[in-house]
Formats: sequence, C-alpha cells, structure tokens
Amino acid sequence: MEVVDQEGRTLTFSIGPQHPGSGHFRLIVKVDGDFIVDVKPDPGYVHRGAEKMCEERTYIQNIPHLERPVIFDSSGILFPYVLAVEELLGVQAPPRAQYIRIIMAELNRIISHLYWLAIYGIFLGHSTMFMWPMGDRELFIDLAEAIGGTRVTFSYFVPGGVRNDLPPGFKERALKTFSYYEKRLEEYDKIFFSNPMFLKRTQGIGVLKREDAIRLGVTGPNLRASGISSDTRKDEPYSSYETIKWDIPVRKEGDCYARSMVRFQELFDSLNIMRQALDLIPEGSVKIPMRGQIKGKVGESFARTEAARGTMFYHIISDGATHPYRVKISVPSFRSLSAMPFLLKGNHLADMPAIYWGLDYWPVEADK
Amino acid sequence: MVTSGSAASVLVGKVSDVIGSIVEQAVKEPVRYIVNWGRLYALWPVHIETACCSIEFGAASGPRYDLERFGVLEAFGSLRQCDLLVVQGTITRKMVPRLKWIYEQMPEPKWVMAMGACAISGGLYIDSYNVVPGIDKFIPVDVYVPGCPPRPETLIQGFIELQNKIRKTKVR
Repeated sequence: MEVVDQEGRTLTFSIGPQHPGSGHFRLIVKVDGDFIVDVKPDPGYVHRGAEKMCEERTYIQNIPHLERPVIFDSSGILFPYVLAVEELLGVQAPPRAQYIRIIMAELNRIISHLYWLAIYGIFLGHSTMFMWPMGDRELFIDLAEAIGGTRVTFSYFVPGGVRNDLPPGFKERALKTFSYYEKRLEEYDKIFFSNPMFLKRTQGIGVLKREDAIRLGVTGPNLRASGISSDTRKDEPYSSYETIKWDIPVRKEGDCYARSMVRFQELFDSLNIMRQALDLIPEGSVKIPMRGQIKGKVGESFARTEAARGTMFYHIISDGATHPYRVKISVPSFRSLSAMPFLLKGNHLADMPAIYWGLDYWPVEADK
Repeated sequence: MVTSGSAASVLVGKVSDVIGSIVEQAVKEPVRYIVNWGRLYALWPVHIETACCSIEFGAASGPRYDLERFGVLEAFGSLRQCDLLVVQGTITRKMVPRLKWIYEQMPEPKWVMAMGACAISGGLYIDSYNVVPGIDKFIPVDVYVPGCPPRPETLIQGFIELQNKIRKTKVR
C-alpha cells in the first residue's frame, strides 16, 4: 500500500495493483480510522483491446483470444460468441453438439467456482480451503482435458458445433468423478461453509438489497443472492437447456454469505445438469461441415448466455466480409465493479477482501 | 523403442553428472557453493498477477503440482522480502511503469521469470494497441517459460532451469 495524501482525519491510499488482496486491479481507498469513506476503482491494467482485435481477425481466428479473458471459464464465455456467429450464418449446432456444449460449459462453471472458492478461502485466512478446491479442481480439469485436449484453453466450441466428439468411456469416468465429488462437497460444508470464522466474516457484510442490485445492474450469482430469481439458462433457454430441470438457487440476504452459498449450491446444480445432459445426449454428428472461410450475411446478431460470473452478452455486426465489422462484449464482471464502491463504503477496511472477492470480480474479464 | 534398462542407465548417468558437478563446485569454491545453496531452495515470488497466466501459477502452487517441494514458496505480498518476480502474462502500457517500480523496489539478488507467450513477445496480443511486445525491453529476464498458458509442469521446469542458473552465479 502507498500513501497518496493525508488531509486532516482521512487518509487516502491505493490497494493494488501489487497487493495480495487485489490482483491486477487498483482501489483508491479513503479511510477515516478503520472505516472506508470513499472508494474509487481503477481498472484497466489488463485492457488488451479484445473488441478491436476481433475486427482484424476472421471468425475462427477470434476464438482463441476471446476465451482468454476468463481463462478458467473459457468455454462459458465463448458460448455467446459461437451462438451469435451461428445466427449470422443461419445455422444451428446438431443436437449432440448442443448437449456436449452444456457439459463443457458446466464443467467450466465448476472449475471457475472452485478457483473462486480457493482464493476466497485464502482471503479469509483459511489455508485448507485453498488446498482442497485447488486439488479437487484438477479432477474437473482432467475431465475437460479429456474432451478439449488442453488444461484450460480448449477452443472447443466452433461455429456449427464442437471440434470433436466425447472420448470413449467418458460417461462412466464423469459419473465416477461426480459421485466422489458430491461427498467432498459435504466436507466443504463442514469445514468452511458452517465454520464460525466464515460466518462471522461474511454474514451481514456488504449487503446488496434487491432494489440496489437491480439499480446497479449486477448479474449472475450476485443477483440471485439478492433475492431475484434470474438465470439466462432458464429465462431465455439456449442450446437445449430447456430440456433440463433444476431449481435456481436464490437467497434473500444479499450479503457475502448469501453470495457464497449461491455459488456453493451452483456446484451441486452443475453436477445435476451434467448428469441429465449425459443421459439425454443423442447419437449423431457433432459439427455441421463447413467449407472455406466463414462469411456472415450482412446484418447483426445478439446472443446472451449464463457464464460462471453472470450474463455474458455478444453483439456482432457483419458487413459480409470474412471478419466481423464490430464486436461488442458485455461482461458480468464489469457489472460487479459498479456495485463494489457501493458495498465497500461504510465498512471496515478489514472486510475489503471478503466483499471484493465475494463478488467474484475478475479484472481481466472486466478490462477485456 | 527404448528399453527400461537403457532409460534407467541414462537417468543414472545424468544424475551422477549433476552430483559430480555439484561436488566439484563444493570442493573448489565452498563459499560460492554455500551462498548459492542458501538462495536456491528459498525462492520467494512477488505476489503480482498481470493477466490470465496467474491461474496456472495458482494451480502450480496447489496440491497436485506443489511448487514448494522444489523450493519455491508461495507468492508473498511484501516486495522487500522477495527475490523472484514471475511476470504472469500480458503487460499493458498501464502496467509497464508499475512493473518497473516493483522490480526496482526488490532487494538484490533478484531474478525475473517471463511466464507465458505474452510476457515473452506479446503472444496472442502482439498486434493489440495496448499491449507491449515482451517485457525484456523494460526489465532483464532470466528464464522464459513458453506456453499460452504454460502447463504447471512447464512452469516447474522453468523453476529448475532458474535454480541451475542460480547455482552458477558468481558471489560478489
């Protein structure tokens, strides 16, 4: 931390970008004693110009760099891009590919939530909760690696389907992992989510009321923790999500505890969704054969999906060329950023890590 | 096809070479050997994440890959106690001055590792308007770890290369 200036009672200093509790992001904080009176977020340390780069690359070449913003949720954030490109081309993925996409997106949601849980554990001073999710995360990385070929960046979704079929024996292997992991989740509950230390540091901290959540425009688990039952997978079903049954986890409290419990419940839900998808998956091809360069028809298309952090939205404008004319990405993390100063004001400085990482804010995604 | 016997003999040969060179150095230059030995297995990396490679660094610190068994400790907050700067990914124009300040604030001796294609050359983002093509124009780099992102095994190999480099450094 560095002292920027000192005026009377209050002290202004910056947290980050080199700080164990901030990541590639800076918060300019003004404190009065131990209380935060003003917060100014300073994002943009990882602004890599993804939207501009899209205009210089073809539709297929755009896939690798568009999954880098959230590298552990790479399929989840790429999902709306392929859906939007498919809309431009006027094609739809075959049914088998749609279910494989569900499996891959839910695997990535678990990988992303476990990374969040590991870092949240270490933020709250619970080292065991760093080690356990990090270790169990590797099981799901193994499953995703069996499908996509690499550890985190798969480039697996392509316009018109997915790159390759599921490997032989995947279903048995996946079900074995799921049944093992459900037992582990009960242990997580015992050691962390029912831990008095965790409850004291999260309950009643950083309360985001229903009205404020709507006004500030947060999405995903943060919105569901404020008592609003909203999930793009249910509201506007895409890619055969309408055939799968599960309940949206909703909490009324709107504090850090509620946000954590919603994500914890989503781990169970993702396992449930993947089990159903593995049962429902039909036989058939996984990709529509396409020849030569993809050229979208003149016009524009939108797609909205539920990534691990919330609603991911793509707007593509095409002028009929091999590369898009304009791509607009609307990311969920940037919406959490609007809620962060609101939540931090008036709280203790020591509660900053709990609130900051409780929102599951990922700076690389927000900066694009 | 390599039989297990010949593979084992190659391995034994390599190990005996390494041990032989270490013993030779310890006998020839004991001070240098002891100082470098002290530095080798207690590398404290700075806790700075610059882009997406940081999650593979996190995975390497996790239980499956466990960097600590190679003498690399967990990332640490205070610069004054760190001797290793792992640049974890893309460096943008906004980050360059901060990275220089961080490097200048670290005490000697210090080493820098460029992790990932972006830190080496700009990588996937080489034609982006806000990304600098490689960090070696701003700070000296000791080890380059390729990959986008590098697998934890690659990162571990990078640390072993760095330790080999430290073993050979002169003590002033």
